[in-house]
Amino acid sequence: MKNKKQQFSELHYKFIRKLRIQTVVVHTIRILLLVGFLGIWELATATGALDPFIASSPSRVVTTFVDLIKNSNLLHHSWVTLYETILAFLISTGIGLALAIVLYMIPFVRRILEPYLVVLNSLPKIALGPLIIVWMGAGTKTIVAMGVLICVIITTINMLHGFCQIEDDKIMLMKTMGANKIQTFTRLVFPANIPSLISSLKINVGMAWVGVIMGEYLTSKAGLGYLIVYGGQVFKLDLVMTSIVVLCILAGLMYGIIALAEIYVNKKR
Amino acid sequence: MEKLLEISGVNLTYQSKTSETVALSDLDLEILDNEFVSIVGPSGCGKTTILSLVAGLLSPTKGEIVLNGEKVKGPTTRIGYMFQRDNLFEWLTIQKNVTLGLSLQKKKTQENIDYTNNLITKYGLGDFKKHTPKELSGGMRQRVALIRTLATRPELLLLDEPFSALDYQTRLLVQDDVYKIIKSENKSAILVTHDISEAIAMSDKVVILTQRPGKVKTIVNLNFNKTLTPFERRNQPEFMEYFNQIWKELQYEE
Repeated sequence: MKNKKQQFSELHYKFIRKLRIQTVVVHTIRILLLVGFLGIWELATATGALDPFIASSPSRVVTTFVDLIKNSNLLHHSWVTLYETILAFLISTGIGLALAIVLYMIPFVRRILEPYLVVLNSLPKIALGPLIIVWMGAGTKTIVAMGVLICVIITTINMLHGFCQIEDDKIMLMKTMGANKIQTFTRLVFPANIPSLISSLKINVGMAWVGVIMGEYLTSKAGLGYLIVYGGQVFKLDLVMTSIVVLCILAGLMYGIIALAEIYVNKKR
Repeated sequence: MEKLLEISGVNLTYQSKTSETVALSDLDLEILDNEFVSIVGPSGCGKTTILSLVAGLLSPTKGEIVLNGEKVKGPTTRIGYMFQRDNLFEWLTIQKNVTLGLSLQKKKTQENIDYTNNLITKYGLGDFKKHTPKELSGGMRQRVALIRTLATRPELLLLDEPFSALDYQTRLLVQDDVYKIIKSENKSAILVTHDISEAIAMSDKVVILTQRPGKVKTIVNLNFNKTLTPFERRNQPEFMEYFNQIWKELQYEE
């Protein structure tokens, strides 16, 4: 309905210019901050103000990175962690959504299980680590299970909260139009919650990384978490730093994909 | 005219942990075919409760409600409910919003679709069929909500303060629209409102309720020329008389 050919006053162009300048300034400062941080880090270690053996340095990280790529195991470790994270993310989202739907649809069950959810949510899931190792063995299964445990309760709680936010009027409207409980859910509650669902996925991605790295700390033969622990134990801090940098990049990318999906969904609505 | 709705001896008590509230006691009310009835009363006198009972969303503690000779038990699609807010679904187009009831009731026949398309075009929303509610003004949205209510061809419309969320000018315009649509589709309606002039402008009779527990105090029959729109009624000399009469009845209640 907007008229695209509309003519604006000089004032409007001034206003737009000001906005643009602001954006440019923000981006510039952002980049300068990173460059400055890396520069100071490099300088401090080069001049000996910081011990590069303890603090590593950007150039050492790059060298280690290239080294690791050449020895071809960095890709493998990254892939292992990425795979575990995606798996944990998908499984926990699936279980969390299913649980939330059951709890929403049957208020009686919700009332019964409420205190358990609260306790499980506040329990530090890492405490269950030894149990899971005993039950599932030292390996990928345990690591993924750790990721799922960390994500699943909070996913359930967030989604359930979203479902319960639907206005009573809308539920009543559905009733007066002859909708049954399942129709009310599939036609009203679920579609109305897609935006909050995606924003809870954004939180979930981060949590899945936390869980998987924790799992790898507990038990692993490969993965970025493994490299970090190993690097720490043999005092190869370059390796630790490099793994963290790779981790940052991967986590950022995965978050970016969900954020893009969010923009896409919001545009479609 | 034939009797459409009969509410007889209805009591309703709300239960909560700490209290028991008698919302309605011994309420009797009759609505005839093609009649437009408004219910006014002091706040908290159970106006909306009456609509929920007629819609079958609540069951009376005592008494019964008969719609077209059939007792109302549980939610019924024989009525159409319109709320204070339009409650349009933002993720559906106007057309899909309007046919929501039909698709829920699995009555999306070609005939019914034609009927709703007809309503959409007739009431000036033809160009917006494929748009989303976000792109419509408040008045247009309320018109869409009315068409959604009409789409399933209910026997009786229940209007729960459908204009109170609109600004004053839009409210007057939408009152005219809704009135015209309801009259030309030959529908009966119960309008719950706290706006006395709205009740006088739109209805055939105004039911005044007592304070809680609500029951019928007086019924004021309005005799306006049938051809007048709600807006035109406001300029009639009788309008003020009716207003004062209803105002006084309500004053005794406060």
